[in-house]
Amino acid sequence: MSTPAPTRSPAASPAPTPPGPVAQAAQSVMSARMPTLAVTALLVITLAASIVLQPDFFSAYSLSASFATILPVATIAAAQTIIVLGGGIDLSIGTIVTLASAVSVVLMDGDNSRLPLALAAGLATGAACGLVNGLVVAGLRLQPIVATFATSSVFGGLALLVLPQPGGTASPVLTQGFGMVLAIYIPVPAVLLLALWLAWRLLRRHRFGQYLYAVGGNADAAYTSAVPVSAVRVFSYVAGGTVAALAGIALLADSGAGDPTLGTELTLGSIAALVIGGTRLRGGSGGVGGALVGAIVLSLIQGLVFFAGVPTDAREFVYGCIIIVAIALAGLLTSRNGTRRTAAARGKAGTA
Amino acid sequence: MDTPPFLRMSGVRKRYGGVTALAGADFGAEAGSVHAVLGPNGSGKSTLLKVLTGVVRPDAGEVLLEDRRLRPRGPRDTLAAGVSAVYQELSLIEDFSVLDNLVLGVEPTRFGLRDRRAARERALPWLERFAPAFGGRVPAEERVGDLDPGERQVAEICKALVRDPRVLVLDEATASLRRAQVRVLFDVVAELRERGVLILFITHRLAEIRAVCDFATIMRNGRDVTTVAVDETAEGELVELMSGGPAPAAAHPGGAAAGAAETPGSGAAVEAAAPGAAASARSALDGADRADQAHETAPLLEVEELTGDRLDHVSLQVRPGEVLGLGGLQGQGQSELLATLFGARRRLGGSVRLFGRAIRPRSPKQAVREGIAYVPGNRGLQGLALGRPILENFALPSVGRRATLGVALSKRREAAAARAVAERIGTRYGSLDDPVSTLSGGNQQKIVVGKWFPTEPAVVLMDDPAKGIDVGAKAEMFAVVAELAASGAAVVLGSSDDRELVEVCDRVLVLFEGRIVDEVAGDRLTEDTLIASAMHVTDANGAGRPVPEPGEGGPTPQAGADGDADPDGPPRDPGATGRSAGADDSNAARGAESPAGRAEPGPARRAQASTDNGGAA
Repeated sequence: MSTPAPTRSPAASPAPTPPGPVAQAAQSVMSARMPTLAVTALLVITLAASIVLQPDFFSAYSLSASFATILPVATIAAAQTIIVLGGGIDLSIGTIVTLASAVSVVLMDGDNSRLPLALAAGLATGAACGLVNGLVVAGLRLQPIVATFATSSVFGGLALLVLPQPGGTASPVLTQGFGMVLAIYIPVPAVLLLALWLAWRLLRRHRFGQYLYAVGGNADAAYTSAVPVSAVRVFSYVAGGTVAALAGIALLADSGAGDPTLGTELTLGSIAALVIGGTRLRGGSGGVGGALVGAIVLSLIQGLVFFAGVPTDAREFVYGCIIIVAIALAGLLTSRNGTRRTAAARGKAGTA
Repeated sequence: MDTPPFLRMSGVRKRYGGVTALAGADFGAEAGSVHAVLGPNGSGKSTLLKVLTGVVRPDAGEVLLEDRRLRPRGPRDTLAAGVSAVYQELSLIEDFSVLDNLVLGVEPTRFGLRDRRAARERALPWLERFAPAFGGRVPAEERVGDLDPGERQVAEICKALVRDPRVLVLDEATASLRRAQVRVLFDVVAELRERGVLILFITHRLAEIRAVCDFATIMRNGRDVTTVAVDETAEGELVELMSGGPAPAAAHPGGAAAGAAETPGSGAAVEAAAPGAAASARSALDGADRADQAHETAPLLEVEELTGDRLDHVSLQVRPGEVLGLGGLQGQGQSELLATLFGARRRLGGSVRLFGRAIRPRSPKQAVREGIAYVPGNRGLQGLALGRPILENFALPSVGRRATLGVALSKRREAAAARAVAERIGTRYGSLDDPVSTLSGGNQQKIVVGKWFPTEPAVVLMDDPAKGIDVGAKAEMFAVVAELAASGAAVVLGSSDDRELVEVCDRVLVLFEGRIVDEVAGDRLTEDTLIASAMHVTDANGAGRPVPEPGEGGPTPQAGADGDADPDGPPRDPGATGRSAGADDSNAARGAESPAGRAEPGPARRAQASTDNGGAA
């Protein structure tokens, strides 16, 4: 990453900086890297536990299976993160996933030749859903949480119209390609996960990536700085919807069939993943990288509950409890400088 | 001037609801000059410049820059036209680095991606230029949230400069700067002037205007009054232009307020606060009695050397039944002082004594328990739960007192308590179960104040409670304030409206940058004095200047007669006294007779008060 060290020091500067450079560096590490630290710690813990409970965790088959389940979850988390960073939230993201996968699977119908068309249609569906959300939120200025709750029903209903019950057949090329293991230890889903992260880094370098943080951080300030706030809001929903459609295709590739009923479960999982990954729900702080790791942590926890021999009926309960602990842990590790920051903000607001 | 000016704004109008911010203002300025825009609080200077920068869209009027009409749909358009502003409420993203903030919205790109090197090349020279203002460092990679307020302001200035403006608007940009930082800014301003940039400057520091400005346009009541060359105009003259002169017939609240405020059941209370003849007539009846009480009793609230963020060793005393005003320009620490007293802001030093006993509330809840009530400026945001029933809003501050065993509430008892208060303050309502939002603005405002009655507060703190409400509602609310004071409470009223202070307060402390710089009472309590005081001009004495206010002559005959009959100067009647002083110099003689308690309490008196307050507690 390009973080050039301070180059020129100003000549003839009499006053020394009050806090020493070491203290300053430490402070900046504490404030900026804390969320990343928290989610990394969680990743190490869950990985260690997985290795202990699953002796063949690093076998090619196990790795491939793990990544195949992780990828859809991580992609949805990435989609949600883009929207949350821009100061919104999307409760319809789960039904966008199911609608996009339903459209794709119906068009594929088990035929390889129709794969490109089906993929394009799936992505377009996701983008269109995002556009609807974006226009409703930025154009009509409805509360994102309520507006997307409503569109969530719309998209879910459409998914049921397209694909009334779980079924359909994905193109064989898609499912086979998804299950492949490149080289020895590199399954295709892992490569896709990396590609997703690289795409995010690209967006982050783009002007719109920066505007996303600006609008989520302080929309008024962004507006006065000539950032096209409404356009950025709409963009965040469209980008989120498109990425959600990718998640739908990944689900399709993993299971080989569509399921129009997944919806809300996926939405809530995505929010949990991004919170664990250190993204601030108010927007403007965090990142997709953290959310991807957060999704990995969530998937690992799910696997752990299974391999730890928890009775089937109690799994959901135990899983939920562990998520609470994980979120609390992530929150505790980040909260100290979080409160300091808000206190400073409040002081400023009072004096303005 | 034959050539059209570089920048011309003409006939600009803007209304916010019932409040007229700009009433057809004209403004012109030349390139390569530093032009100050001056005026008292609410004169429309900030709104005028926000119209220029495209943040506020005017209702009427046009802006011409180099003879080209500017029709901005937002700051994007004005920035493109070369107008760049430093805002009072900063436009920085706290989580971004300084560098990222500086280029936000104008990021240089390469192949569609942000080019950090180009961004550094563009922004770094300005940061280096301002390095002395950052304590000698160049904080390009530091988070803006980690900078102190002054440094953030400097970063904001750099941000405006990075945009290469042809017109640079500095709206109170120096307010939070230290002296060294101001010096750097002024050097840069001088350089920009040489390069033909027009700099528009709003400040509350007259000395700064003298230091850098070429011209000054004075605004009053949403209009431009005149434009003068700064070096040909004396400071006193500037202040005079801001306050006095033949004021364009501004709607004086007098008549309208008194009319709207006639509420059966609380008539007497309404009259007490309503400006005009009625008030002075009434005060003759019980004013003398109250006056004695006021200056014989020990102070109820004593604040000594209170310090905190934006507060600089503030000391004050308020006696029971007294209404103390906090005046001065906006944002000079008035809100901070009130919030600190209410325990909502941290106190760094000093002491607060209530009934002679030191208190140290750490939260609003503790302050309420000590007997302090707080009326915020924004009733929708802080003072009322608009969607909830009237009953609940009345009950909220005092709910714990009526609960059986601390939990069980009786609806009947709640209703009885609310009804008693509603009757006392004369609120008209359909049913106690209706949401507050169904009430008129005035009645809502009454509830904001009246809901504190059942807690029997000893001290009522009010932070610009009448900002943005119409005159009728204002009068009704201040009637309730008078009622609270009459029941022995000490009222501290922060207000950005000088007229309101003159009408409602017994005494006004003028704050400037967190310090109390003046105390205005008795005959000196006029709008002119307050404006002069607020600008921190010590030599200008508003009360002594024979500037008649045409709109205020009406009630004087009676007020004057009243004053003669009552030489003690009834403390509930500052509006009438102040006004008569302004209109008639002969009243100055009467001022001399007023007892020491009404004039500035000297140090000796203060000391005495603090020694004998034990008896009062």
